[in-house]
Amino acid sequence: MSNSPDSRPTSPIQYDDGIVKMFIGATMLWGVVGMLVGVILALQLAWWPANTGLPYLTFGRLRPLHTNAVIFAFAGNAMFTAIYYSMPRLLKAPMWSAALSKFHFWGWQAIIVSAAVTLPLGLTQGKEYAELIWPIDLAIAVVWVAFAINFFGTIQKRQVKHLYVAIWFYMSFVLTIPVLHIVNNLAIPATLTRSYPIYTGMTDALIQWWYGHNAVAFFLTTPFLGMMYYFLPKAADRPVFSYRLSIIHFWALVFLYIWAGPHHLLYSALPDWVQTTGMVFSVMLIAPSWGGMLNGLLTLRGAWDRVRQDPILKFYVVGVSFYGMSTFEGPMMSIRAVNGLAHYTNWVVGHVHSGTLGWNGMMTFGMIYWLVPRLWGRKMAKESWVGLHFWLATLGIILYIVSMWAAGITEGLMLRAIDENGLLMYGQFLDVVRTLDPFHWARFLGGSMFLTGICMMFVNVLLTVRGGGEAVSSAAPVPAK
Amino acid sequence: MADEHVPDQLLGHSQDNDGIQEYDNDLPDWWLGLFFICIIWAGFYVAYYHGYMQTSQAQLYDEEVAAAIVAYGTPEEVDLASVEITPEMVAAGEPVYVKNCVICHGETLEGGPGGGPSLVDAEWIHGGSYPEIVHTVSEGVPAKGMLTWGPILGEEKVQQVSAYVLSKAQAAGN
Repeated sequence: MSNSPDSRPTSPIQYDDGIVKMFIGATMLWGVVGMLVGVILALQLAWWPANTGLPYLTFGRLRPLHTNAVIFAFAGNAMFTAIYYSMPRLLKAPMWSAALSKFHFWGWQAIIVSAAVTLPLGLTQGKEYAELIWPIDLAIAVVWVAFAINFFGTIQKRQVKHLYVAIWFYMSFVLTIPVLHIVNNLAIPATLTRSYPIYTGMTDALIQWWYGHNAVAFFLTTPFLGMMYYFLPKAADRPVFSYRLSIIHFWALVFLYIWAGPHHLLYSALPDWVQTTGMVFSVMLIAPSWGGMLNGLLTLRGAWDRVRQDPILKFYVVGVSFYGMSTFEGPMMSIRAVNGLAHYTNWVVGHVHSGTLGWNGMMTFGMIYWLVPRLWGRKMAKESWVGLHFWLATLGIILYIVSMWAAGITEGLMLRAIDENGLLMYGQFLDVVRTLDPFHWARFLGGSMFLTGICMMFVNVLLTVRGGGEAVSSAAPVPAK
Repeated sequence: MADEHVPDQLLGHSQDNDGIQEYDNDLPDWWLGLFFICIIWAGFYVAYYHGYMQTSQAQLYDEEVAAAIVAYGTPEEVDLASVEITPEMVAAGEPVYVKNCVICHGETLEGGPGGGPSLVDAEWIHGGSYPEIVHTVSEGVPAKGMLTWGPILGEEKVQQVSAYVLSKAQAAGN
């Protein structure tokens, strides 16, 4: 391609890669912590003495720590990594304010640390994925506003005409998350650590799941699609399959997702018509979600021979495939009849992890293995470990999901089984729990494999950063032309 | 425009996209078909469920209960006050107690780790007659953590386990 039309002789733009490196470090550190807690929880479910008897380490307190750590700390830092690296390059403009970038980084880490302290102490709002108490919620809002100013400030001083689709996906994330966060956390503080939500009863539940489901949509889906649209074509060195598809599935996705929350409350006190709304909007989401998967997989046309050798592309293929799988499974589970069996069982746990481990985890790993050699100008210190990490993670996820499917369906059928007198066959929940023992152990094993993989990545990156890897020929990596 | 569209034509955006190129490909037909089918199905489902069937989860629940009554009958009305407790009932109640009650009330019925009170001391918190014990087991004491055992155990087992508890209490001299 020729020079850019504004014929500005490519005056080198100084990108702030220091902040990207910091976010990579945070992503890996919190990833290891969050997944370690997850594995401890898996052990507690299989073997109760792992609860240790200390209140701080019981399942009820560690579980929100796990979810907050992997969603907001691991996945959160991962997409900030993606944004701080790709956005300035896509817009040909450094971040609007390096000071705000730093404030964002340290503010976000401070929020994570305060979560890691308060949750084991039992300080919680009792809302799933919104457990953090009100002072931390306020801090999140402040840090997010700083991030948003920096984000839109950068867009404003861009030197390009056309906004690439990744930027659209990032924008939906930066705009929607504060709306969800603030509306769901509106509460009247009573003490420093306690507050009362302004909503009551069913309204509270509906707001909560409008938030909860759109945290999946706008925290774990759209920014990761933005990540995919930048890093996958970069790694594959192929054009994106369809510009048109990317635009149409973007708008369809963001319009439809925001309505799907009520599917978390099927067969509850929620009015029937609201339940139906959540269900049909979930089903209509299949195609818009698959648009992202298609654009990812079809971008690899002509690069499939390299997928066989390049572990980064392998991470992306499996990640995008799990995205497609879980966005088909989700709508199916939102159908009333299926939900009646699946709800309140481990099937839901398996579904969530096929999205988070399979999609968010694998996409993040692929991104980090692509970025580290470019940022530090060195090959990975242990290149063979990358492929090993891929297989450990993939097989770990499969073991995890298959055992949770089996557990969930077993559980669902046992909970509704009725004997010849019309009575519950398994009236004691403990009967169900004991039947699930082998599945709980299998899940523990799958999760441990996934954790081992991310630990290998952490060590590998540390070795590389400390000079373990062979230097790449061009020290300062330039954007591929 | 779709008919004449040549596949894999590049758009000229790449200077703006950090070198990432984009094809101007059409939407895959099957993808678009899937999208439309899901939208049509959504309309159909709403019309069917809320329009044609005019149903609701409350109504479906009532129908299931009615079907269960046809299938399993309603529990016989037993005049608990005139029930004579037989050794067979007491014997049948023991395994029910061991399986469901031990955790809270203990193997010796003197209370257990789950926090249930003794059933063999002098005090009956919710009444110590046979009908009263049956009622307590059946309805539970949810405020104190005792389950509503009626729907879990069924009428027969509730009566058997109550007979067992009463026999033990009487044996202890209460």
